[in-house]
Amino acid sequence: MSYYDVDSILTDAEKIPCTFQFDIPDLGYLENNPGQTLKTGARVGLPLWLAEMLAIANTGGIGPDDQGKSFVAFDLPPALGNDVMQALKADPRAIPIRDQSAHFYSLATHMMDLSDEPELGTVLRKTFVTRAGEIALHARKAGGGGSSKGGASEEGSNLGVGGAGEEFLRGLDEWERKLFRKAHDGARAGKEWMEGVKKF
Amino acid sequence: MAHPLPPGLTQAEVAFVAEMELVTIIPRQRLESIDLLSGKTPVLRPPHRAELPLWLALLLKKQRRANIVPPPWLHPASLTEIILRETKENPEAFSPPPPPPSRAHPREPGRARRLAESDADISPPFQPSCTAAAPAGYLPYHWLEVAEALLAHAGDDMPVPAGEVRSLLRDLVEVRAAKMRSSTSQLEGFGGGLMSLRGVGAMELAESRGFVLGVVDGVRKIGASAEATRREEEEAGGGRHDDDESDDDMGI
Amino acid sequence: MPMYGDLGNKLVQHAKRTQILPHLPPYQTELVRTVTREVRDLHRDVDSLLEPFQGSFDPAADPASACTLLVNHLSMRRNKRCLLAYHRTRTEKLEVLVWNGSDVLDLSAQQAGGANGVPGANDGGTSSLSPQEEDYVRQYGDLLAAYKGQWTDVDLTGSLEPARDLFIDVRVLKDAGEIQTEYGAINLTKNSQFYVRQGDVERLIAQGYLQKLG
Repeated sequence: MSYYDVDSILTDAEKIPCTFQFDIPDLGYLENNPGQTLKTGARVGLPLWLAEMLAIANTGGIGPDDQGKSFVAFDLPPALGNDVMQALKADPRAIPIRDQSAHFYSLATHMMDLSDEPELGTVLRKTFVTRAGEIALHARKAGGGGSSKGGASEEGSNLGVGGAGEEFLRGLDEWERKLFRKAHDGARAGKEWMEGVKKF
Repeated sequence: MAHPLPPGLTQAEVAFVAEMELVTIIPRQRLESIDLLSGKTPVLRPPHRAELPLWLALLLKKQRRANIVPPPWLHPASLTEIILRETKENPEAFSPPPPPPSRAHPREPGRARRLAESDADISPPFQPSCTAAAPAGYLPYHWLEVAEALLAHAGDDMPVPAGEVRSLLRDLVEVRAAKMRSSTSQLEGFGGGLMSLRGVGAMELAESRGFVLGVVDGVRKIGASAEATRREEEEAGGGRHDDDESDDDMGI
Repeated sequence: MPMYGDLGNKLVQHAKRTQILPHLPPYQTELVRTVTREVRDLHRDVDSLLEPFQGSFDPAADPASACTLLVNHLSMRRNKRCLLAYHRTRTEKLEVLVWNGSDVLDLSAQQAGGANGVPGANDGGTSSLSPQEEDYVRQYGDLLAAYKGQWTDVDLTGSLEPARDLFIDVRVLKDAGEIQTEYGAINLTKNSQFYVRQGDVERLIAQGYLQKLG
């Protein structure tokens, strides 16, 4: 994950629930109260780029209660909450994970780096792998079948698929979209080659 | 600027490389040897068979100066056998690649030995994978490319109507594409995730490379933190210092 | 309630879109300026927070101020990353366009001019590139040309597709004047067709003057 990686930067903008463990006079604006003190125990959704460092920074507190305490404590975002995990366990293909987060897996791996979540890892691996098979199937249909001449490389957000798979494909997160694009490009190049063989 | 092409050969490049594969032809006219960059071509004397690179064979075929002998693995019986193996006998795996060429051991009858000591000597196009000497029942590395080219331009040289071969070929392509898709699900198990691509052809690899690498990379990233924890624990516990070390050395 | 870093994020969303689009969308002059200003404001805040301490700030003694300082610092760092990523994404796109042989400066002017109903207007102010980017493209193009010039037999920016045939049929879509080939001069007038060596016309195909047939 490079410093300049656009997807990584966008993932860092995802908000996660944080609880402040200190009174901070100047940070009221974080909970829409500019000029007010942000009180201990205040719950604020902070972007990952901010929450991560506030959670791991050494406050160096000298009070008896402050030692080893970080500025904020954080929880898993709702996108990775128990409800979603249970639903994914039941049927990985039925959930439009993009509705949870456009950077679902990227967010999840980032959270797993911050705290131990062995359960999360297991569910996600199964989810990713199962959905990948489905993605390949749709990509092959879209790339191999029908006329793909012209403008095929200009998909963007429009993945160029109609019909039953549309709903599933709309629910793909960024990792999965990339997978779809790769599978789709492979199928399309294969088809182009197949058509070209006759010319030689 | 980053190189615009994805890693590995593209389909167009694979098809180009496949034209170097040797095929067997039956010349219809005499032709003297041609001094090519890759070496001299054999002198063509009808009706003696000769081996030529695919591109040259196709050129002569188009000029009606030669017929191409379809390789044995492309015969309907061979394709049917392979399909059967891929669907019924061993539906999990791709059918194995052709065995390296071998011949009887001179002093120990009954034992075969590899024809060449170094692998460099037996890699395509020097392996007779698409000539009349190739074994039936095995798909060579460039099977799909050679098959498509022969069907498109030398269909009348097939032992049966080309349509019959083509439809068997379609079945095989579909069976293996489905296998490739579902092979990724083998990556689900933690630590034991492994997908074998043995026997997969060049064109199939080119088509699926991006997708498969994407899945493998995703699984790796999802498991990265758990893997880091496991290693830490192992090290803290005085660790077994066996084969894990070599993984580190290789920078995996 | 807008937060520090929100505008930087917008910039990165533009970058994300840029990666997918075939062309280069207009440079976000105003947004870049605002994000830069935000960094300056944050820096001023940090300075005024630290001023009373006269260079002897002890975070352990004042965790609240330390936290505010950290938030400010992180916000600046975040904005910097967004700014750099935005510009780098565009630069990479520009380099691709230069390698592909498209006339970037002309194209961008046409694009911007087209929106005002003045096709091809080239008055500088309507470019989708920032002045720095225009400069970059010009110099990068020169650099690439000098680099390519070392080889006369190989076109470094030529097609990466393995050739099927050395000679191809082409149709002329736009008048392209006379070109010199190994086999003499050809006058490329609109709608005419030629059988030519692929290597001689690759560039013209990429630029949309010719269309490959068959």
